[in-house]
Amino acid sequence: MKLRSERHGEVAVMELRGKVMGGPDSTVFRDELKKQLDDGIKKVVIDLGRVDWMNSSGLGILIGGLTTVKNAGGEMKLARTTDKIKSLLMITKLVQVFDTFDSVEGAIASFSE
Amino acid sequence: MSEHAKLVIPSDPAKLVDVDAFAEHWIGDMPFTDDQRDDIAISLSEAVNNAIQHGNANDARKRVTVVLRRFEDGLRIEVTDEGNGFDPDAVADPTDPENLLSESGRGLLIIRHLMDEVHVRPADGGTRVELIKRYHD
Repeated sequence: MKLRSERHGEVAVMELRGKVMGGPDSTVFRDELKKQLDDGIKKVVIDLGRVDWMNSSGLGILIGGLTTVKNAGGEMKLARTTDKIKSLLMITKLVQVFDTFDSVEGAIASFSE
Repeated sequence: MSEHAKLVIPSDPAKLVDVDAFAEHWIGDMPFTDDQRDDIAISLSEAVNNAIQHGNANDARKRVTVVLRRFEDGLRIEVTDEGNGFDPDAVADPTDPENLLSESGRGLLIIRHLMDEVHVRPADGGTRVELIKRYHD
């Protein structure tokens, strides 16, 4: 997995790429999220549009991120979820847990609604 | 290409990348769709993760053996650990509302949705998970 972050105003967009399969991926994600929160960011978008596939460890990484952000008083949303990830969210019923958006722009705009 | 291939790894989650590359290469010329290839890659990673974490309890001295076998209708995957075995029916339902925010416990659920057959049985002193994916449902 590769991870790239950028800021859009007060929103951090973290783009994941490749195969999200746990192991070292978890540490990479957690460290970057902590850095954003330490910088005072409370609004986070996870861009999944370039993820090839994700397994249950990847879903666990996202749940851990959601819990961390919420505990810090913030919000985390998912953007550009691929059909495969949507199907995994349905199978696991995590569709009830995450706010998902078809575009990064839509996810960013949702924070001010 | 032979009819089967075998890879043995230590119980290290960092080795998942090697397992993925091994399987992706070996099934490269099999007539699966891209979607089926993703199903196989995801399920294999789940089975190996389970073997490392739950079967072998992250003990790097214990190994995980992955065997890929092609047959007329598709692919059979065998993932064997060296642990004390586990009861798949004893795994808590990850879709239960009280478990939804758990960071783990969804592997078997996902495998069962993505593969055509899943069997869990004792083997060689550990547990073997067998996964079957056919070209056609």
